[in-house]
Amino acid sequence: MEKIVLPPTPRSPSVDFDFQTGRLGLRGEAYPENAAAFFGPLLQAVREHFADGGRDPTEVEIDLVYFNSSSAKALMTLFQLCEEAAEGGRPVVVRWWHGADDETIREFGEDFAEDFVHATFELREKEETPS
Amino acid sequence: MRTEAVFDLAEQLREEGIILSYSGYVSEAILFALGEALKLRMSARDADALLVKRLFSIFVEQVQNIIRYSQERTAGPPPLGAGIVLVGEEDGSFFVICGNIVPADRIDRLRSRLDAIAAMDKDDLRRFYREKLREAPEEESQGATLGLIEIARRASLPPSYDVVALDEERSFFCLKAFV
Repeated sequence: MEKIVLPPTPRSPSVDFDFQTGRLGLRGEAYPENAAAFFGPLLQAVREHFADGGRDPTEVEIDLVYFNSSSAKALMTLFQLCEEAAEGGRPVVVRWWHGADDETIREFGEDFAEDFVHATFELREKEETPS
Repeated sequence: MRTEAVFDLAEQLREEGIILSYSGYVSEAILFALGEALKLRMSARDADALLVKRLFSIFVEQVQNIIRYSQERTAGPPPLGAGIVLVGEEDGSFFVICGNIVPADRIDRLRSRLDAIAAMDKDDLRRFYREKLREAPEEESQGATLGLIEIARRASLPPSYDVVALDEERSFFCLKAFV
């Protein structure tokens, strides 16, 4: 499948979905003008990627500093797809990054973690970047 | 409008501690611009970054409620909803107030949702958010409940609301959340 690479905007994350290597990343802010229009095609691509039933590992990196409630719905859908693929036998790792003092994003990670049985969910703290 | 009246309005906003105000039709682009103005205003005050994030989150969910649910609206594109947005400071705490007209027959459901949310502690809210995240969006509401829970989770006090009946079909609904 074709790679999906989108630069970040002030209200949407950078997208780096490389289906060949199985590495999918979302980084930045997520409160797109139209969450369905932004996430819809991404979720559809992930659905198609998993549909071949292959066993190549997939690693999903989520490093969001903010997301609104509409984007949370899309993340939930993405994670459900990951969990289903893992249940079907594909090794899937989801890595959720949060700032050291960002309790909000860490809590979201903890909550999403509870849904994973077959896929591996890793909660990761980012190194402090000097400001 | 007389100049004196404009001045009185500006003075009243200042006295109420309002640092950002907007009244009229809101689009997603206007939400973004107001959000940028809010962030600039907060960084000029050296506000704590995590406090600004919580305030911003409440702001986004509140303003999106105007865009999606105000009864005074145009379908677009882009979709526009009319309302009023006020961000201010009261006794050292920041707040976001949003008001818009909603159909009167929606008020009961809105009240019961907000009353239920107001009665919840942080752990209840967290559980309720998880539960709603798993559900398909309710009809007509595009996940409105999730947005209201998000507001309550970021707020330091339960969000308060008030309703003014305008006529049999329309009510003015106002929601206030302190960060």
